[in-house]
Amino acid sequence: MSKLMLWVASALVAFLVLANSLYVIDQAEQGIVVQFGEPIGEVVDSPGLHWKLPFIQEVRRYDRRMLAWDGDVSQIPTLGREFVVVDTTARYRIADPLQFLRSVRDEAGARTRLDDIIDSVARDIVSGTNLEEIVRSADWQVNLAEVAEVAEQAGVAVEQLDLEKPKKGRGKLEQEMLAAASRLMPGLGIELIDVRIKRINYIDSVRTQVESRMIAERQSIAERFRSEGQGRSQEILGDMERELRRIRSEGERKAKEIQGRADAEATRIYGQAYGKDPEFYKFFKTLESFDAIGENSTLMLDADSDYFRYLDSSRRR
Amino acid sequence: MAEDPKKWLERAITGKGWHERPRSGDGGGAQPPRPVKLDFSLRSVGLVLGGLLAILAAFSSFYTVQPEERAVIKRLGRVIGIADPGLHFKVPFGIDQVQFVATERVLKQEFGFRTGQDADDEGRTRYVEEDFSIESLMLTGDLNIIVAEWVVQYRIADPIKFLYAMREPTGTLRDIAESVMRRVVGNRIGSEVLTTGRVEISNTARDEIQAAMDRYDNGIQVITVELQDVVPPPRVQPAFNEVNEARQQRERMINEANKQANQSIPKTEGEANRLVSEAEGYATERVNRALGETARFNAVLTEYRLAPEVTRSRLYLEALREALPRAGSVVVVQDGQASPLPLLNLRDAQPPRRRNQDREGGE
Repeated sequence: MSKLMLWVASALVAFLVLANSLYVIDQAEQGIVVQFGEPIGEVVDSPGLHWKLPFIQEVRRYDRRMLAWDGDVSQIPTLGREFVVVDTTARYRIADPLQFLRSVRDEAGARTRLDDIIDSVARDIVSGTNLEEIVRSADWQVNLAEVAEVAEQAGVAVEQLDLEKPKKGRGKLEQEMLAAASRLMPGLGIELIDVRIKRINYIDSVRTQVESRMIAERQSIAERFRSEGQGRSQEILGDMERELRRIRSEGERKAKEIQGRADAEATRIYGQAYGKDPEFYKFFKTLESFDAIGENSTLMLDADSDYFRYLDSSRRR
Repeated sequence: MAEDPKKWLERAITGKGWHERPRSGDGGGAQPPRPVKLDFSLRSVGLVLGGLLAILAAFSSFYTVQPEERAVIKRLGRVIGIADPGLHFKVPFGIDQVQFVATERVLKQEFGFRTGQDADDEGRTRYVEEDFSIESLMLTGDLNIIVAEWVVQYRIADPIKFLYAMREPTGTLRDIAESVMRRVVGNRIGSEVLTTGRVEISNTARDEIQAAMDRYDNGIQVITVELQDVVPPPRVQPAFNEVNEARQQRERMINEANKQANQSIPKTEGEANRLVSEAEGYATERVNRALGETARFNAVLTEYRLAPEVTRSRLYLEALREALPRAGSVVVVQDGQASPLPLLNLRDAQPPRRRNQDREGGE
């Protein structure tokens, strides 16, 4: 009976020992075997089943994948004294787990160190740079037609718009951040893969100002459109008036010319005809003008006129 | 239960009678000191336990991969392969682990807004009313503020890389998408972003996000980047609308002026032409009249020359005869007399009506 108990007990112990000396490293992990707090041997970076000494050794596991770091949002003044909110993000890898274990112990420790380092690097670089340098990139190439239109709308010369190519640009600045931050990384056992500016925006008070500026800009453009409309409209109406006067006067001139020619023609005809006997013409015309005598006209006749001659006496004179 | 559970437990702890189970199993009913009842019960417990274990093993040793998925199989932590859709077997008890990844599905990340998961009764998509402006606010190259909302559609092309290249591939996709979109928008001036640049921005952003994903080698394939709303900040929007209105107003004013011009110019042209035509008519009339009158004159003149005296008197008297009845009054003036001498004034004595009737009747 006790033999069996012994058997069971030893099986149990064997199982416990086995369970404690076998460990699994996942595909996503790398491990370090630690004995009384002291790392022993190489980094275990192949996934699968591994052995260690039971009980006295333990395994510290670290992620071997790429990890993301997201910084706090920080307010930084740029070289041009605008306050901006900068949010950075970075990717890193635990490149040297032994060093990592010694210097920062775990990811939480690493994160606080990265916060300090990357934040200060970002602060240094942003505060030493103009805002447009951070916003624009090295391949900045503005569409000239577009710029001309904007300048035209805003009513300023193209040169005044300050749209020159950045000296460094965003990409270069990010690389500088990466380089500056990476210098401190070997001591942490971390390999920094990239540092990027995720967001950059004005702080709220500056934002309000910028928005007000944009509103004023738009309103002046609107005003320009309106007065342009009025101007064009007046121009068109003026053109119209000129055209109308031209057409009308040309018509009148033509009409007068035609009338004049006709008058001249008539005068010539009359002249030719009446010139043959001007005295008879006068007589003839005077008689014709009797036709014009109307109802209310008073006809005054000389008593000596031919009409009365025979009334007075039928005697032949 | 045949045996008191208390007793059974006691025996199990002390080991008393415990070891006899195998023997009783072997011997069957050869040695009868132990009750058959207990023997049967112990065996049944073993059987039940064994059966349970077997069922558990059976259940945990197969798995189904859905059509849109792939399964990554890990044996003792090491990836050993990918399983296609269908029914598959694995080693049970946690030795083989399976992770399902929806590789065939097109996934999307939204920036600046969120679509609710469920649609409402009418099937419309519901938008979550929350402020995501922190994602959508960005600066353009001319340092203006713009609000851009966009969607990144992607697919997990390589499930192993997706699971094991990065710890937070989706979060990284979001970070990179925001970073890239701000870079691309910051590289253009505001008016271009608002108008003509949209397609190019989407394409550039897609390529750059994909390039970053390739650099991380995380198995994400970006399908498209779609810009949704790209608008000025809310406070500035009315001013932008005002510009549009003003532009419309300008067009309207120009159109109205043109309309007026188009209305009046042809009309005036017509009027001018009318004037010219009338003048032509006048000219024709005038010349014709001249011709007519002179023709008459010439004709009369020819006759007159044949007998000047007689014709002259005749013409004079004829004219007077025609004119006298029409004239209102005729006054005869004689040399040496002070006042003119009225000859006839019959008409003034008559009432005007009668006079008119007389005249009409007389003619």
